[in-house]
Amino acid sequence: MKHGRFTPFLFLLPALAIYAIFVLLPIGESFRLSLFHWSSPLAEPRFCGLANFTDLMQDRVFWWALYHNALLIGLSLAIQLPVACGLALLLSRPICGRGLLRTALFAPMVMPTAAIAALWLFIYQPGDGLLTQLIRIVRPDFDYGWLGVPSHAMFWVFLTICWRYTGFHLVLFLAGISAIPTQLYEAARIDGAGEWSQARHITLPLLKPTLAVAATLSIIGSLKYFDLVYLMAAGVPEESRELLATYVYRLAFEGFSGRFGYGSAAAVSLLLVALGVVIPLQTRRRVATEEDA
Amino acid sequence: MSQPAASRLAWLSRRLVLLLAFLVAAYPLIWMVLTACRTEQDARRHPFALLFTPTMASFRTVLSSGLFGKAYLNSALVALAGVALAVTFAAFAAFAFAHCRFRGRQLLFLLFLLGMMVPVHVTLIPLNRLLGPEILGLKGTLWALIGPYVGFALPISILILRGAFEAVPKELMEAARMDGCTAWGVFRHVGLPLVRPALATVTIFNLLTMWNEFAFALVLVDGKNATLPLAISQFQGENATDITLICAALAVSVLPLLAVYFVAQKHIIRGLTAGALKQ
Repeated sequence: MKHGRFTPFLFLLPALAIYAIFVLLPIGESFRLSLFHWSSPLAEPRFCGLANFTDLMQDRVFWWALYHNALLIGLSLAIQLPVACGLALLLSRPICGRGLLRTALFAPMVMPTAAIAALWLFIYQPGDGLLTQLIRIVRPDFDYGWLGVPSHAMFWVFLTICWRYTGFHLVLFLAGISAIPTQLYEAARIDGAGEWSQARHITLPLLKPTLAVAATLSIIGSLKYFDLVYLMAAGVPEESRELLATYVYRLAFEGFSGRFGYGSAAAVSLLLVALGVVIPLQTRRRVATEEDA
Repeated sequence: MSQPAASRLAWLSRRLVLLLAFLVAAYPLIWMVLTACRTEQDARRHPFALLFTPTMASFRTVLSSGLFGKAYLNSALVALAGVALAVTFAAFAAFAFAHCRFRGRQLLFLLFLLGMMVPVHVTLIPLNRLLGPEILGLKGTLWALIGPYVGFALPISILILRGAFEAVPKELMEAARMDGCTAWGVFRHVGLPLVRPALATVTIFNLLTMWNEFAFALVLVDGKNATLPLAISQFQGENATDITLICAALAVSVLPLLAVYFVAQKHIIRGLTAGALKQ
């Protein structure tokens, strides 16, 4: 379209201004602050070079947080995606109640995480929580601390995260399956292939691009994750409860800590880890999609 | 095992697995609503009972506290203002990216894409200062949330809308230009009406994201101006042991949303997945 020299910039101006002030500028500021020793909101920030980063390398909690992010990625890929994919396979052929099941599984996606956390804190409550009572129906003397067990807390939070996102991945897989031409199944049936071998030799191989998308989304999501871990895992020692994002928050804002400089160094590390993983993944994905097109 | 018996077993196990999945997904929500209608004693003693004498006492306590009415209003205000600004500005920018030629176009677009990969938590500390009393002075009020919400909604919105604008035939725009339309007129009267489905997707995606957002609200807003997620978390902290009261509060804060979801689920599911897929 023909246009004046300044037209595009007038169209871009509002978005660019807000984006620059509230996204780009703060990112730059994070890098700057990470070079300052600033241990409380009342103290004066003092330039300290890379000292915050060398401290971070010695920080046990930081490494645990990084490990928990990796754990979240691993568990999502090993448990959440296969469960969603399996359910999608079971739902791929018409079955009574299919729509209802999809609706129910996707419902947690629209709920605020704060509500999900409050609900699941009761489910995991030791003593008379829902899960404990459920297990006591078969084993009356059962007792377990759930989120209070430091070495397991992150896993139980992960299950809640699964509860929230499985429906989302199910929808992705269902869309992927519905894009597979039905002639393939008809041909396979004529050749005498059973349901199982149809799923194994037609659906799964053709679902690979969807699997790649779901895996990429899981990895990105797990790196950025904050909400449910912050809301649910507060009751265990700090080595067992932090992700990178929750650690940044707690360093800067919890109680009266206000370690803005050190927190910024952790934030910059989070950004670098996220970009370091995401940019190669996204580039590969975009190249792959363009080749398909 | 004979062939029919095996296939009957497959038939049965498929249904059992799906039933189990349904219960795992839905039972916590059903339990939440039932518990909200129980007495505290019933809730502790018979958490699974389906037949009991319901009481609305917990609902009355929650509603009379006024906390959630105000939180609803706050969330609606922030989400509506945020979505209006984000979608408008994103549409402007997406139109320019799709139909104008100018230097630095690719670079600027990449700069916006970068925003989708940045965890919002990286900006918490600087935004806390930027919005704080020394610079913008908005911290504590609802206004503090609008800038960050719009800023982080822009990249994905621009990406989705750019795709939609690109699908509008160039000839249509050229023709309108020939007939004396300004660039603004082309955007307003040719482009915008043709990207309506994408506008709906972006609106739904951003509306839900902003409605449910937690981390920014936690840092930037005072307790007395709490949005819904913040109010839930505060209420939970203050009444942690009162199971029926919290379930009533949760029911009050999520059932209207779930009702909207049941009615408009086709659009909501599409909006949420389209938004995520583009990322």
